[in-house]
Order: sequence, then C-alpha cells, then structure tokens
Amino acid sequence: MNHPVWDLPLLGSGWLIGLVSLIHVSLAHLIVGAGFWLALMEGRAQRAGDGALLAWLRARARALLWLSSIFGASTGVGIWVAIGLASPTATQHLIRAFVLAWATEWLVFAGEMATLLVLVLAQDRLRPRQRLVVAWLYALCAWLSLVIINGILAFMLSPGRGWAASHAMLDGFFGATYLPSLLLRSAIALALGGLWALAAPNPGDLRARILRPSARLVVAGVLLAVPAGWFYFQSFPPAARELVLGNLRGATGLAQGFRWALLGLGAFLVPALLGLWAHARPATFHRSAALLGLVLACWGFGGFEWIREVARKPFVIRGVMYANGIRVEQVAGYQKDGFLPANAWARAFAASRGDTDLARGEALFRSQCLACHTRDGYRGLRALTAKNSEAENVRLLQARRELDPARNPSLDRMPPFAGTAQEAEWLGRYLSALSR
Amino acid sequence: MPFPLPTPDPPLPLPPSVLKALLLGTFTLHLLAVNLGVGGSLLAATHALRGRPEDRELVGRVAPLLPAAVTFTINLGVAPLLFVQLLYGDFFYTASVLTAFPWLALVALLMAGYLLLYRFVGAVTAPVPRAGAGLLGALLLLAVGLLLVNVTTLSLRPDLWLAQAAASPRGLRLNTLDPTLWPRFLHQAAGILASAGLFLAGWGAWRDHGYARRVGLRWFLGATASQLLWGTWLLVRQPGPLLDVLLGGTAPASLALWCSVACGALGLFMAIPASERDAPARAAWAPLGLGAAAVLGMSLLREQLREASLAAAGFRAGDLPHRTDWPALGLFSVAFLGVAALLLLLRRWASQLVGGPGQGAP
Repeated sequence: MNHPVWDLPLLGSGWLIGLVSLIHVSLAHLIVGAGFWLALMEGRAQRAGDGALLAWLRARARALLWLSSIFGASTGVGIWVAIGLASPTATQHLIRAFVLAWATEWLVFAGEMATLLVLVLAQDRLRPRQRLVVAWLYALCAWLSLVIINGILAFMLSPGRGWAASHAMLDGFFGATYLPSLLLRSAIALALGGLWALAAPNPGDLRARILRPSARLVVAGVLLAVPAGWFYFQSFPPAARELVLGNLRGATGLAQGFRWALLGLGAFLVPALLGLWAHARPATFHRSAALLGLVLACWGFGGFEWIREVARKPFVIRGVMYANGIRVEQVAGYQKDGFLPANAWARAFAASRGDTDLARGEALFRSQCLACHTRDGYRGLRALTAKNSEAENVRLLQARRELDPARNPSLDRMPPFAGTAQEAEWLGRYLSALSR
Repeated sequence: MPFPLPTPDPPLPLPPSVLKALLLGTFTLHLLAVNLGVGGSLLAATHALRGRPEDRELVGRVAPLLPAAVTFTINLGVAPLLFVQLLYGDFFYTASVLTAFPWLALVALLMAGYLLLYRFVGAVTAPVPRAGAGLLGALLLLAVGLLLVNVTTLSLRPDLWLAQAAASPRGLRLNTLDPTLWPRFLHQAAGILASAGLFLAGWGAWRDHGYARRVGLRWFLGATASQLLWGTWLLVRQPGPLLDVLLGGTAPASLALWCSVACGALGLFMAIPASERDAPARAAWAPLGLGAAAVLGMSLLREQLREASLAAAGFRAGDLPHRTDWPALGLFSVAFLGVAALLLLLRRWASQLVGGPGQGAP
C-alpha cells in the first residue's frame, strides 16, 4: 500500500480495467476459438480437395494475424498498463506469485504468433499436411495461453489450498474454480470463434461450406457453456456465491449490475439460435446477424467477467488482499497505530494540502475508497453520502472498523476501514465536505 | 523523502541474479527487434517517400518483413517489462502512476502505429504507396519509446516523485522535471536509426544488394554522428553521483561507456569507406559487428546505471528475498524446450524450396 493512488475522475480506475479487459479478453477468447476453427476448416478443405475454400481460409488467417498482432497484443499490453495503474500493490503481488506462469505464457504466445506468421507468410512453402499440422499447433498454442492465464484469474477468486503457506505457483494455480473456469472459457471461445467466422465476408458459392461447420461450432460452444457455467458457479467459494445470490434483488447498484449481467448471460444464448439459422438456411443468413450475435455474446461474456470480478469482493485476491490493496493481516495494525503513519504517499498527499483534518480525510479517501468509488461518477460517494450528516458519516465509518461480520454486515462486499477512530473521523468529515 | 518498501510480497521464485540476467537478455533481444521493426519502418517509410525506382525496389523487398518484426518487438518487450516489475516494482509502479495518462497513451499509440504500418506494407507495391501512413505509423511507434523512457527515467529518480505528484496530481505530465528525459529519448532514437541502418547494410551485403548496403551505412553514419550531440547532452545532464560513476567512479560502468563509445566511433570511421559505391560487400561487416558491440555495451551500462541510481535510494535488487520454485521452473523449462523445438520446426518448413513435391494446394 505504499504506492501513490491514481485518481481517475468520474469513471474510476476499476472501470478502466473493466473496459480494457473486456476488449482484450473478448478478442483473446475469440482468437482461441478462431484458431480451433481455422484448423478444423483447413482439415475439411484438404480432405475435400476444396481449393476455393483453402484460398478463402488463407484470407481468414491473414485477418486473424491482424486481429492478434495489432489488437490482441496491444490490448494485452493495455491490461498490464491498466492493472498496474489501478492496483499496483495487487499487480506486484500477483507478479511475484506468478511470474513463471506469465513467462511460460509469453513463450506460448511467441509460438502462437510464429505459427500464425508461417501460416500467412510462408503458406506456399508448406506441404498440405504440414499446413494442417501448423494450423493445429497454432490452435494449441492459443488454447495453452488460455490454460495458463485462467490459472491466475482463478487464483484471484479462489487461491488454491496450501498457497498461503508455500507460495509455490502451482499450489495457487489449481484452486477450486480452475477447471470449471477453463471449461467455460473454452466453450465461450468456441462460440466467439464460430461467430467471427459467420460474420466474415464470404463468396456465395462457398457459403454453405463455410457457414454450416462454423454454425455447428457456435451451437456447440453455447450449449457447452451452459453446464460449464453452472459447474463454475457451483465451484465459487461459499461467500462469493452468497454475495451473488443475496444481491439479485433491490435497487442497489450491485443488484442492478447483477441484473444486467444476468440479462447478458441470457443474451449469450441467442447466438445458438443464429447458429441454427445459419446451419439450416445458409443462403438466407446475413453477416449482420452474426455481428449482432458477436455483440450479444460479448455482452454475455462481459456479464460473466463482471460477476467474477464482483464475486471477489471485498478482495482483489480472496483472503489475501482487499480491493484497495491493503493486506488482510495489515488491518489490525492500521486500526491500532494508524494508517497515515505507515503510508508515505498518503502522508505526502495530506501534507501537500496543508495537513488539515480535511486533507488527511481526503488522503484516506484516496487510499481506501478510490479503488471502488469515485467522488462524482461511478459509485460516487458525494451522492451516496449526500443525505448523511457529518456525525452519521463518522458513525458509519466507525462501524466499518468492526472486523466481526455479525456487527459489520458490509464486510461481505466492502473492506473494513483500516484506520484509527481518529482517522475514521477525518474521513467522515471529508465525505461530508464533499456534499457541502 | 524516504519511501518505505511495501510489506513483503511472496518471495521471488528465482534468485535475483538470474532474474537480472533474464532481464538483460530479453531486453537486448527486445532492442534488436525494436531496431528492426521501428527503425526499419522509419527507414522504409522515408525511402518510400523519396520514391525513386531504387528506393521503391528496396522498400518493396524490406517492408513485408516489418509487421513480423513489430510483432516480435511487442512480444519481446513484454518479457523485460515483466522482469522489471518483478525486481524494481516499487519504483516502476510509482513512476507509472505519477505519469499515468502518458503511460496509458502508450497502448493507443502502439495500436495506431501498428495499424498504419500494416496499411503501408499492404500497399507497398501499389502505384501510389501509402508512404505518409508508413511514416506516421513509424513515428507513433517511436513515440511509444518516448513513453517508456518517460516511466523509466522517473522510476530512477525517487527524489523527483513528490515534485512530479505536486505538479500533476492526476498524472497528466511527462517526466519533464528530469533533464535527462529528452536527451535520453533522442539518444535512443538515434541508436535505433543507426542500428536499423546497420541491419539494412548487413542485409545488403548478405543479399549482394549494393544500394541497401550503401544507404544502410549512410543511415548509420548520420545517426551515429548525431550521437555526438545527443550522447554528450545526455552525459552532462546526468545527476552528479551518476556522472562520477560514468567518468570513472566504478570501473565496469566507465569501461562499458568508453568501450561502447570507442566501438561506435571506430564503426563510424570504418563505415565511411564501406559506404562507397565500389567498396566490397564484406566491408559492411566490420561496422555491423562494432555497432552490435556498442549496443550490447550500452545495454550493460544501462543496467549498471539503474543499479547505481537505486542504490542511492537505498535499494538493491540483489537483496530481495527468494525461494526457488522448482516445479514452476520445470514447467517453464518444458515450455521453453517445446517452443524452441516448434520454432526450429517452423524454420525448417518455412525455408523449404518452393515447388517441391506435394507443395501448394492439395
């Protein structure tokens, strides 16, 4: 917690991660599915001796290269940048824990790009059998990339048993949600890859030969995603499951978010219907329907990722570190001896504002609240505390210092206030000053 | 202001010395790819703008290699970024937050530059090549380098952090408080152009392409000569303690500096006759070798300066706790061997003679 805080107004840094991540993970999963599709189609075309289809597939491989190298790789760098800005402490922690996983994924990605470059740039030098082998190796590398990153994402929701003691990568990697998450993500990848193929421009004489196998991939992906999604949800830690199920109703921001996410999960089923249409009547199927399907599938995927992120609350790494970068074991010390004395950047910020009570309150707000709230925008605290008196705000924060869930029911979604009673008062005053 | 280190993260999974060697190795590879991809794009776009028949022929042969080079520039850039975050995370993250918006802009510049480069390469044989798009794309990719230099320089100067935070609380500003920002970027940009010129000259000597060899060496000559300005500017702008280190305070750092300067200067003088029209192709190899030695020396120097800067802030990466994670290392080693075998296989297949039995469509 000794990094400065990035104050991104209105949107909040969490949303920035969300936006960059949604673009990147949708693309990354689409690329995994498209790699599998490319290899399948290459095999079909070779077996049928279909030269026209093979030529069309080469253009698709080139499009995939564009997508992977320009947008996939760049947004991948974007995630590194965004998480480092929004949650530097957690990012540093994850890198320490999983650097060899990321290094392995880096190797696999190098293999993915090399196989794709050969498929595109040296295709005429390859014998048909070799081309098919390279296509499958490309699909394998793309999927292995998912296999590895899935472990890190699963760790954040459900660190594997024994990791806290050993800090060994593989102990953290294979938590309870690892396998269900991998199944679900693979299914989503198939659906997205198939939709991408359906959305591609295709010559009329090839239409049925392209659309039918692609549509089967979409339908298979969606159908597989349903049980995999259920399996995944069942594997959630009990507290995470309760957080989701207990917040489906009501007018809170969390409940509204869950409802949008659930609608998205429903929307994810629509591409299966589009797939059936493309399969049954390829001549009447239009690309725009597939593009709509992609949008709906990405909505569903975004909903799933949002639920996964929210289910981690109040942690960024369950049981290890809260969303604001404070480690679980640090809370008691901060409540006893104070947060500000132990945090150079927060002290420096307060000092730069004259070290008044309000300045200290703002420094605490930046360090402990900004990870999930803004002043005026997303989960804006000005609006959320507008009706409270200063005394009520202070009382609310004093209650948030409780570490017993029975006496602090918000502990299931919000970190405890990690500071002394005096610091809670400073923060309460600052929150009241916001709405004056 | 002394910034205490965060409470300990999990221990490093490998000894710091191994991670530093990996950082140096992957950074050098990244630098090679940058020189090829970004420097090559600048050269190709400039020659495309020039538009003479020999330029267009040269660009037509070189440009198709550029997107792959940029792909590997990005891929090879991720590894040192990972190791830097691992070893110097406290400094790196702090610097990136303090200059957050320029750092975030890196992604947009990278994407736009890459997209424009693809557009340029896609039309390289067209009657009217998209040379302007190519040049803009190459400049955007070069600007990515500025943003990396921006965070790197700030990460080495904890004494500037509070002033930077006060000057721009939301992280909107470049690290202009550090007087080494611009000379370091220009030194790097000139180095990229010089190295790209050497690669072109080497390719020309290998492929017996006289024009490529000559213009490549001329790019090297011009860019390296300009280092007299940028290099000297950078040297005199170093903080006092680092200047002492460079000018003889520690033998390895000053040795690396002066050996690199000597290699660059010798390469410069050897490149002058080698760039003549009637010079033999083999004359290009000596400047190429000397240039590569200068780049390697500068990479080593860069690491030593980083260590010296952070030691002044009371940090030594070598002191970080570690516990070797053997199973994870085993997994990584298996992946390394697998991908190495894959690359060898791909190289073998991709370099088969065209028109062999069974090739092309089934």
